Amino acid sequence: MRQRWLAVAASAALMVSVTAGCGRDDSGGGETAKAVEEGKATGEITVWAMGTEGEKLGEFAKAFTAENPEAKVNVTAVPWDSAQQKISSAIAAGQTPDVSMIGTTMQGEFAKTGALDPTPADLFQKDAFFPGAWDTTVVDDTPYGIPWYVETRGIFYRTDLARKAGFPDGPTTWEDLTAFAKALQDKAGAKWGISLQPGKTGSWQSILPFGWSNGASIEADGKWTFDTPQMAEALTYYQSFFKDKLSPADLPQGALEPAFVKGEIGAFMSGPWHVGILNEQGAKGKFAVAPMPTKQSSTSFIGGSNLAVFKDAKNRDAAWKFLAWLSKPDVQVKWYQAVSDLPAVQSAWDDPALSADPMLKVFGTQLESAKAPPSFPTWTQLAATFDVEAEKVCVAGADPAAALKAVQSQAESIGTGS
Amino acid sequence: MTRDRVAKLSLYAILVAGLLVVVGPFLWMLLSSFKTEAEIRSVPPTWWPSTWSLGNYRDLFDRLDFPQYFANSAIVAVLVTLGNLLFCSLLGYALAKLDFPGRKALFLVVLGMLMVPGMVTFVPQFVLVSNMGLANSYAGLVLPFLAGPFGVFLMRQFLLAVPDDLIEAARVDGAGEWRIFWRVVLPLCKPALATLGILTFLSSWNNFLWPLVVATTDDKYTLPVALALYAIGQNRIYYGLLLAGAVVVVLPVLIVFLALQRHFMRGIATTGLK
Repeated sequence: MRQRWLAVAASAALMVSVTAGCGRDDSGGGETAKAVEEGKATGEITVWAMGTEGEKLGEFAKAFTAENPEAKVNVTAVPWDSAQQKISSAIAAGQTPDVSMIGTTMQGEFAKTGALDPTPADLFQKDAFFPGAWDTTVVDDTPYGIPWYVETRGIFYRTDLARKAGFPDGPTTWEDLTAFAKALQDKAGAKWGISLQPGKTGSWQSILPFGWSNGASIEADGKWTFDTPQMAEALTYYQSFFKDKLSPADLPQGALEPAFVKGEIGAFMSGPWHVGILNEQGAKGKFAVAPMPTKQSSTSFIGGSNLAVFKDAKNRDAAWKFLAWLSKPDVQVKWYQAVSDLPAVQSAWDDPALSADPMLKVFGTQLESAKAPPSFPTWTQLAATFDVEAEKVCVAGADPAAALKAVQSQAESIGTGS
Repeated sequence: MTRDRVAKLSLYAILVAGLLVVVGPFLWMLLSSFKTEAEIRSVPPTWWPSTWSLGNYRDLFDRLDFPQYFANSAIVAVLVTLGNLLFCSLLGYALAKLDFPGRKALFLVVLGMLMVPGMVTFVPQFVLVSNMGLANSYAGLVLPFLAGPFGVFLMRQFLLAVPDDLIEAARVDGAGEWRIFWRVVLPLCKPALATLGILTFLSSWNNFLWPLVVATTDDKYTLPVALALYAIGQNRIYYGLLLAGAVVVVLPVLIVFLALQRHFMRGIATTGLK
């Protein structure tokens, strides 16, 4: 609660500095990037990175300084928990580092402050990255920063139970998924066929993929469009799992994995990090991952993190060179081997370290078409509204179309922020 | 006789139940910090670790530069506490016992500051501190917290109860204002000072957002910030690491509290504040 207030205060401060015009150029689109000088990187590069990335990047960057002996990379680890507050306060006070890791969903808000440097086109090729990941860096048609690593969502399921249920290869379509969850309960003895997130924080990451798979888009011509028949159909479908008692609506935090290991929950929707958690909990070899079920398409959510350079960077050119190094395919593979972050650069996936793993293959294929919400500055604010409405739909059985109308009217009053 | 016993027994039953509610989570934190990650997450949860493991602590001390963060936390908390004890008692004394023009207005300002939530001033305060060139320094971590309206208010309320005659007597004996404050007033304030000290120490020790934002390199992080670094990931929480960290952070506070407990209780009883 406290932190949410602070985030609001910090964003408000940013908004004020933007609207007051002291937030540098706020021209609204079409900013052009300066070129980066040729040659090796020199000088000190300060980098903020969150979590494991912050812990391991300093050591990893030694290979970069070996190639660029006159450069030095100083990494400061930042807790994920409050990275948003830290970065927005730093922007407000002009205390930014050269480079920072930025969660994909925060990108719009930060780019809009005018504090991020546009990506120099001579150094990075858009096509090298997964398209959904690249799109998260683009605000008002200008890319600010580059995708660093990605993640996406699929359907985790117990292979033994799936065999008993008559779906040895998992579900492939929407009809399948419902039948699959039913059969897991009726034939394979699971208490719950599948566990889907019943609204609450971050549930949009589970729900929007169903909308996208049904041809919905929450943005058209620079406007929010939550209130479409396609999205309503997707949300109704999502709700059916709770109505038909196929998914629990009140699973306590941390209860999912043990229940999955015991076979009480037959399947759930999540991202690559769950492979590690399940292996730790003793489910190794007992589960597999299926891509998002198809309606019109099989479209998942793409998340992960970007890297951005600040306009106030003391060592801008070296910073961009460091980012160029981090997005080389072979470096991306090595980074995956160091911290298990999935490469944002597509060609890195041809390396046997990734292509030989069947579960990664599913995520890899899914990433090619995976989408992210538009990087409008107001997205994080709207996501919270969406999650609240989604909870009403999943837990209290509210009408999906009415919930989407509520999100849409909120979206229209908040606007896109661009 | 038996009625007394029943009353006593039921009183104890209520007290024990209350104690369990209060101590239970701490006990679980302590015991679980010795469990493996899988056991912490197991449903139904266990009380006693099935196998005792120091893995979480080893992980914590291996991955974090503990002495550095601990020293940062201690330096900041001690300086902030000393500052509050000195400045708040000085101002509290002036507001309670000295007669000067604008005293009422000054007191109203202090009260007004009590009503302003910290979140409102957070960003401006950070901008101010960094404009002064104090970002990423101990001064930046300590200065904004050296005195606070709450402490001033607490000291003033306590000092109001000190009889004027005592101060008058000292004045008649020829003591200067400074000497009166130092030799007569402060020794009387021990319970209030202990209360203020422990509350300030606690809030400084637990302060998370300010050090997180002010420290731009991790060698200036304090313990709570450092613990959040690796225990909370983008998509998952490492409960073992978090619990072991919580135990380590709580211990010093517990020691300070036990040392000052006697005064603390008296302070709360006499000022009616907490």
